[in-house]
Amino acid sequence: MASQRRPDASSLAEVLDRVLDKGVVIDVWARVSVVGIELLTIEARVVVASVDTFLHYAEEISKIEQATAEGDLEELEELEIEERPESSPQSAE
Amino acid sequence: MDTRLVPSIETAASTDGGAVVSHKYVYGVVEASDDVEFETDAVGDADRVYTVSHRRYAAVVSDIDTTEPEETDEDAQRHDDVLREIMEHDGGQTIVPMRFGMAFEGDRELKNVLRNAQPAFRRALRDIDGKIELGLKLVEEEDAEVDREAIEEDVADVLEPIADQSVPNDLFSDRLVFNRSYLVDEDDREAFDDAVADLEDRYEDRLMVRYTGPFAPYSFVDVKIGAQ
Repeated sequence: MASQRRPDASSLAEVLDRVLDKGVVIDVWARVSVVGIELLTIEARVVVASVDTFLHYAEEISKIEQATAEGDLEELEELEIEERPESSPQSAE
Repeated sequence: MDTRLVPSIETAASTDGGAVVSHKYVYGVVEASDDVEFETDAVGDADRVYTVSHRRYAAVVSDIDTTEPEETDEDAQRHDDVLREIMEHDGGQTIVPMRFGMAFEGDRELKNVLRNAQPAFRRALRDIDGKIELGLKLVEEEDAEVDREAIEEDVADVLEPIADQSVPNDLFSDRLVFNRSYLVDEDDREAFDDAVADLEDRYEDRLMVRYTGPFAPYSFVDVKIGAQ
């Protein structure tokens, strides 16, 4: 069995690759103005997720769209809060 | 952004009755119930990180005097350092990371985004809950003869079952034979470390292994928020 390998956290190049190129992007208009704007959220997943995952997303998105159309988005959210498992990420450290 | 007028983004800190009205530099979004506040070396020489929340979601921010921060190495590193601190905060916290430079005019604009993009933040948080990003690059040793396809298959066989998801990155050099980012559950982190060590042993004489992280899951939150 090989010895354990710890990832290296110190590379500036690796940090720049991610910080300048990945992560959530918000248009400057949405950051400096509230008046007369509407936000568009586009989630173009580059990830090739499994078919199951994709179907799950599609289902969730259609639920939200339906709820928005029917004007009871708040209700749906309340429902999801209760279904949601405790969010307490474990640290392996 | 076509021909529309860009709002004045160089106004920096305006003054209001002598008090400096600061803008907000955003690192990422957490559940509003996760209380994040600490002192640190933050972007733009700020020394405190705290949250601005709207209902279920909160943005982790620090004060800044511009809405268009310069991309310096130092501040890019600080952006990442703050995200790492949050990930290690209070036993481990999940945060949807922003790209560098997401500075807001003020709380109103920020809350407007938190409100309008709620479904996107909810899905992103669910996707990355309790997970970290790790990077793996394999670089060909000088004069080494390697079968790239075989390596790709071998690495996938070893790492994909442990990882939650993965995305390919650019092969920007001829000797770079493999470059991928992995989303890994904190609980599977040791297993992933071991698997990388195995790969390193197996290809010892032919490949150099660059294993990096843990990062906030930048590569796994492909969310863009625009104005209409």
